[in-house]
Parts: sequence; structure tokens; C-alpha cells
Amino acid sequence: MAISSTYLSNPSITINSVDLSDQCTSAVINYVSEQLENTTFSNTSRSFTAGLFSNSVTVTLYQSYAASETEASIYSLVGTTTTLVLKPTSSAVGATNPSYTLTGAFLSAHTPINASLGELSTIDLTFAGGVLTKAVA
Amino acid sequence: MYTIISPRLGNPGDQFIPEDGVNIDALLDGGLISTDTAKKSSKVKSEPKEQ
Repeated sequence: MAISSTYLSNPSITINSVDLSDQCTSAVINYVSEQLENTTFSNTSRSFTAGLFSNSVTVTLYQSYAASETEASIYSLVGTTTTLVLKPTSSAVGATNPSYTLTGAFLSAHTPINASLGELSTIDLTFAGGVLTKAVA
Repeated sequence: MYTIISPRLGNPGDQFIPEDGVNIDALLDGGLISTDTAKKSSKVKSEPKEQ
């Protein structure tokens, strides 16, 4: 059994400086370097080198049309770039609670209405591109 | 100069200083911050006397 696993109990997320932690139920940071093949005749196994980074963040939020809530925070971000900050917990940033900042991430789509009868409405957003930085202090 | 309206950005009424990459237009559109307007002088200029 792992002795140092993590479960999210009080994570923190800000989108465009707006703290939407109390509307968020899921967040995934994809930190991706494209792989470029550089295999040559001298190799016996395939070889790769780093290409462009292709980062993204996917989040699920409860939808709310009230003032200062989800819709007011997200709607005008479509077609633009913004900054997201995510932390495993809302505590101060440190070695055991790193902060991940995605700067210049593009939001291409939003579903202002995504609802079913009798269920809480949620929206799934993908912020693509941008530079990911990790801070531990 | 911007002023915080939504507590999701900080204390309402405080000055909002955007960090790099923050989309100000989206915050304004969503009513989360407002643009400070220069306060006008309370003094009323007297009309020039007619000659």
C-alpha cells in the first residue's frame, strides 16, 4: 500500500484570477512535450527528442448564472487566452503543496447550457496551450 | 485602475492589480471588477461675469 498517496480534499483553482474552487469538481493538468523522432541508421531502437510543449487544463464546474459565479466568470473568456492557477490544497504554496500556473491558455469552447432535468448543471472546459510553471515557494 | 466587486477576486472595494495573462475585458464583462473613474472636483466654478 502506498504510504504517500494524495487525495484531493480541498484543492484550489483560480481561472482568470477568479477563485472558482467552490464550483469545481474535477481538474486535470496535462503537461505534455511533443516527441520528435530523431532515430538514425546508427540506432537500433527508436529515439526521440523534445518538441513543442502542448499543455492543457481540463476542468468540470457546476454552472451558476448568479452574479460573480461560473457563467459571469467564463462566458467572456471564449476565444481568448487567460491564466489558471491550481494547487492540491488551499494552503500556502510549498514543497508539499506546489502551485501550477498555466499562462496564455486558450479557451475555444463553452457550453452555457448543459443541463438535464432534475440534475445539477455542469460544464466541462478545456484550456489549451500556454506555458506551465510549477512553484514550491 | 480597477476595483474588485466580486469576493472571488479579493476584498470588494480594494484595488485590483491584474497579474500577467489576466483577461481584464472578461472580468469587466462579467461584472467582477469595475473601472475606477476619476472623481470630479466638488468645487463649482462661478460663471464669468458679463461685461
